[in-house]
Amino acid sequence: MAAFSQLREAVLTGNAPAAVAAARQALDAGVDPVELVNQAISPAMEEVGRLYEAGEYFVPELLLAARATKEVFLLIRPLLAQKDVQPAARVVLGTVQGDLHDIGKNLVGAMLEGGGFEVIDLGVNVPPEKFVLAVEEKQVQIVGLSALLTTTMPAMKKTLDVFRTAGIRGRVKVMIGGAPITQTYADSIGADAYGANAAAAVDIARKLAGR
Amino acid sequence: MSPARNDPKHLTGADKISPAGATLPRLTIALKVADILRSLGYPREATPPAQVVRSTKQILAEARPWLQPRGTYALYAVTRQTAHSLKIGGATIAGNIGDILHGADRIAVFMVTVGSEITRQAEARSRAGDAFAGLALDAIGSWAAEAAAESLMEQLNSQLRPGESFTMRYSPGYCGMDLRQQRTLFKLAPAGSVGISLLPSLLMQPLKSISGIVGLGPREVVGVHLSPCERCPQIGCHMRR
Repeated sequence: MAAFSQLREAVLTGNAPAAVAAARQALDAGVDPVELVNQAISPAMEEVGRLYEAGEYFVPELLLAARATKEVFLLIRPLLAQKDVQPAARVVLGTVQGDLHDIGKNLVGAMLEGGGFEVIDLGVNVPPEKFVLAVEEKQVQIVGLSALLTTTMPAMKKTLDVFRTAGIRGRVKVMIGGAPITQTYADSIGADAYGANAAAAVDIARKLAGR
Repeated sequence: MSPARNDPKHLTGADKISPAGATLPRLTIALKVADILRSLGYPREATPPAQVVRSTKQILAEARPWLQPRGTYALYAVTRQTAHSLKIGGATIAGNIGDILHGADRIAVFMVTVGSEITRQAEARSRAGDAFAGLALDAIGSWAAEAAAESLMEQLNSQLRPGESFTMRYSPGYCGMDLRQQRTLFKLAPAGSVGISLLPSLLMQPLKSISGIVGLGPREVVGVHLSPCERCPQIGCHMRR
């Protein structure tokens, strides 16, 4: 269908106005919003991730594609809610206590939203207790922890320790990332997954959510 | 605008030499879209897509009024120099900086900033969910601070004597110079005159600020321009000089 390919192309090129126009046109023509997600948005974002991993796309292209997708979701989310279609999962993100860096976390948040996840961003310098509260109050399935500094990495372990003490560790999957983080570190603190970049985070979140 | 002379009273300590220097409340900087795209991660030889170029141009136009480039410097005679330390104005700057500053008989301690507004706007756009605009504004702030440092170097030309040249500038945090040297630099230059302060974490406020030192001396000795980047293992860094 022409509307699907127009929407895919608009997302791939990060053209938000064109993406919204294509989506609106399709909806006006009676296209099911679920089909719009499955046939156009999800494949386009998967392709964006693939192009990034292949070194053909750079971070700005990821973010423009995510922005285009997000604006389309603003249009179709109410329609999906009417059909009782749930987001891929609800994710809470934050930069761990003691760390004030937010760019990496913001990239991950934008990509997850573009991938159809509902994202709750707790900001920077987030104490473990605030993550616990979010998990308990918002029925979160995935927690994403970010740290940029070797000096703040230990706050990830502390956050997981507090999860265990609070009895919520078994209820959520935890993914971690940031410049100094490695798979080895993720394994050593008992995180469920490590994401090397924002594009990888979407795939990882899908696996963690069982999708 | 003629630069205001620094008030040497900002320095304390019995053995400090009153520095020459200037506070420059308005530095001229040139920002090109190509520079910002490089700062966003595109290699020099890459051709970014039209949508990225358009969006970056638009954000750069928005950002210009939010940049207030300004700077200050204080110029000191070198009283003692070894491979791992530099004594100026009664203070010692430690670090593996001897080869970089070799041959310099005067050192300018400088601070530049582009102010806080660009960071406030970048954070606001990120909070509003526009991660691209947040990232681009952050990159513009970083590049503008670098451009302000280059502009200040041009102003420093007035301090060169015939036959003299600069070393490359060097900042705390570069390989060979510990970040804690910030504290010494802040004693030697009147950072407050351009609204820069040093937080206990050693971060500068505003965030888009640069502090550093640069040597002045006979061209045939300092003209080698050894780059601090030659010590750095990040060979793919887009800021590599």
